[in-house]
Amino acid sequence: MELFTNLGLGFSVALSFQNLFYCFMGVILGTLIGVLPGIGPVATIAMLLPVTFTLNPTSALIMLAGIYYGAQYGGSTTSILVNLPGESASVVTCIDGYQMARQGRAGAALGISALGSFFAGCVSTVIIALFAPPLAEVALKFGPAEYFSLMVLGLIAATVLASGSLVKAIAMVILGLLLGLVGTDVNSGVARFAFGVSELSDGIGFVSVAMGVFGFAEIINNLEQKGSREVFTKKVTGLLPTWQDIKDCTPSVLRGTALGSFLGILPGGGALLASFAAYTLEKKVSKNSANFGKGAIQGVAAPESANNAGAQTSFIPLLTLGIPSNPVMALMIGAMMIQGIAPGPQVMTERPQLFWGMIASMWIGNLMLVVLNLPLIGMWIKLLTIPYRMLYPAILLFCCVGVYSLSNSPFDVMQTAVFGVVGYIWVKLECEPAPLILGFILGPLMEENLRRAMLLSRGDPLVFFQRPISLTMLLIAAFLLVIVVAPTVRKKRAEAFVEA
Amino acid sequence: MKITNGKDFWAGLMFIGFGLGFMIVANNYAMGTAVRMGPAYFPTVLGGMLAVLGAAVLFRAFVSKIPHPLAVFPFRLWFVVGGLVLGVFAFYTQVPRDGGEVEKIAHELLSGVAIGLLFAAFGPRSLWVILVSVVVFGYMLKPLGLVLAAGLLIFGSSWGGHEFKPKEVTFLFVALAIFSVFAFVKGLGLPMNIWPAFLE
Repeated sequence: MELFTNLGLGFSVALSFQNLFYCFMGVILGTLIGVLPGIGPVATIAMLLPVTFTLNPTSALIMLAGIYYGAQYGGSTTSILVNLPGESASVVTCIDGYQMARQGRAGAALGISALGSFFAGCVSTVIIALFAPPLAEVALKFGPAEYFSLMVLGLIAATVLASGSLVKAIAMVILGLLLGLVGTDVNSGVARFAFGVSELSDGIGFVSVAMGVFGFAEIINNLEQKGSREVFTKKVTGLLPTWQDIKDCTPSVLRGTALGSFLGILPGGGALLASFAAYTLEKKVSKNSANFGKGAIQGVAAPESANNAGAQTSFIPLLTLGIPSNPVMALMIGAMMIQGIAPGPQVMTERPQLFWGMIASMWIGNLMLVVLNLPLIGMWIKLLTIPYRMLYPAILLFCCVGVYSLSNSPFDVMQTAVFGVVGYIWVKLECEPAPLILGFILGPLMEENLRRAMLLSRGDPLVFFQRPISLTMLLIAAFLLVIVVAPTVRKKRAEAFVEA
Repeated sequence: MKITNGKDFWAGLMFIGFGLGFMIVANNYAMGTAVRMGPAYFPTVLGGMLAVLGAAVLFRAFVSKIPHPLAVFPFRLWFVVGGLVLGVFAFYTQVPRDGGEVEKIAHELLSGVAIGLLFAAFGPRSLWVILVSVVVFGYMLKPLGLVLAAGLLIFGSSWGGHEFKPKEVTFLFVALAIFSVFAFVKGLGLPMNIWPAFLE
């Protein structure tokens, strides 16, 4: 079996002392920022991007991946104990998790979410190993027309699956594409939209956009809304769920894992969407759905499994197609480019150590996370007692050091601050920044592929409809748009986001 | 016609502004043909699409059933005007590379005030206090070194929050300064000086 030789190679890479260390650092950091409300994986990975420059590519990606799925574990702790999502994908865990904590069952909730996440993590690791290679093979046959259509599909899917207004989300994607075009045009050498500023002719820094919009703007918004929180910091006992709990939860964990794995692969998917969908599904299929919202353990198990599964399978489009499905994956592309690796299907054949090492590290990382989260839970709870006024100056400092060290220039810091203001305004205007980030990273790629496709077809735009794969993807994109605009689905979509 | 949804109103205007802005600036570059697209082609098409979508959002502001007041966030028009005037002035009075130190510093201060005013035009007090501290950190890191610049950032941004407890912030500063010196400079080997440039 080729799969086993590949996984064998992966484990031999992931189990090297150096990679184990960076995997450990990644999951520790991920848990830490997952537990702390007000800082998410996007800002953290953005912060660490400059640092990864000094590492070898495999270790760097192993660590960054660990942050993302580690945050899914940590986020549940805060949701359950504080009724505040430590991480956006844990929003729904608050609903039943916090109720369980109030009934004195915090231990069981924490235990089941860690075990459910571990199970989901194992399954989705296998899914990546199974499905990524055939997908990459298909992707190798892609021409520029297929790539262009794929990006259209990805961007449309990202807007459809976003909450809030569809028109605004599409507008944000286009704005992102445009901002991504700032800088020197590869074909003509013209510095576009640089206004004579030499720093801008290299393009707007991706880290600056991500950190300004997700890091700084987030802090300002958090400071704007005051509010006290009640923390259950008393000793949490009974971490191991009872037999009855396990019996109750097994189907939920299975459903959550399946749904999460599937939604993670979709463009625009990932942990956040997976957890929302899993909670809604669980409520629908449950025999006593009245218990939901009052401390149903299924309401914790399903979304927590789903968000971890989704977080991991969202690596599939990244590793096989080189297309990010959410802002975290966009940052991973940034990390790969810093290392001089062009993301795409060739990564697997040209750098098998990197590809399989990363997959194997995910399983190892999940194992570490169970150990970190169950016995050491007390340590993470202590962290929650740190007031926010002590946290945000520290977050700011780390962000600033990270941005500054990108090119050792104050200009990047300035640029990030500007995006902090803009990000604040966007939040106030209910314009979601996540689609913008995707557009931003895809802007230059999309233009390049459009140009090539049009050159090959001698200026005939019909090429996108004549090639079967390209046509299929455009049709799916159109279909997605149509069903969202359709009145009945529109109502359902609004309901789903309100309910969850 | 009455604006019911203030958020859509401003968002629509913003999208139209960005869309038209990109189109106008792209006008300076070569358009090319569909076969050989010039640098202006893609941005012009996208800018047009953005402006159209912006118009749709703007239209929705008048028919929306979700009411939002027009004042979505604190906004100070005079700060924008002042910031823009100073910014334009600073842009045209740039000191040449071989200019005097005093003039350079004066020019940087002028630019700084312009930017600070533009930041202060939007949002709550914490927004501009924090972001100005961030920018100050960026520009002071080299001349003052990591420790003192971090101090400016930590004290500045803490002052931007709701509560400012001097003792607590001092403790935070000492802890973070020690941590960042060891983690960033010694551990990761980032090229930054720890103390002011003239002391090292």
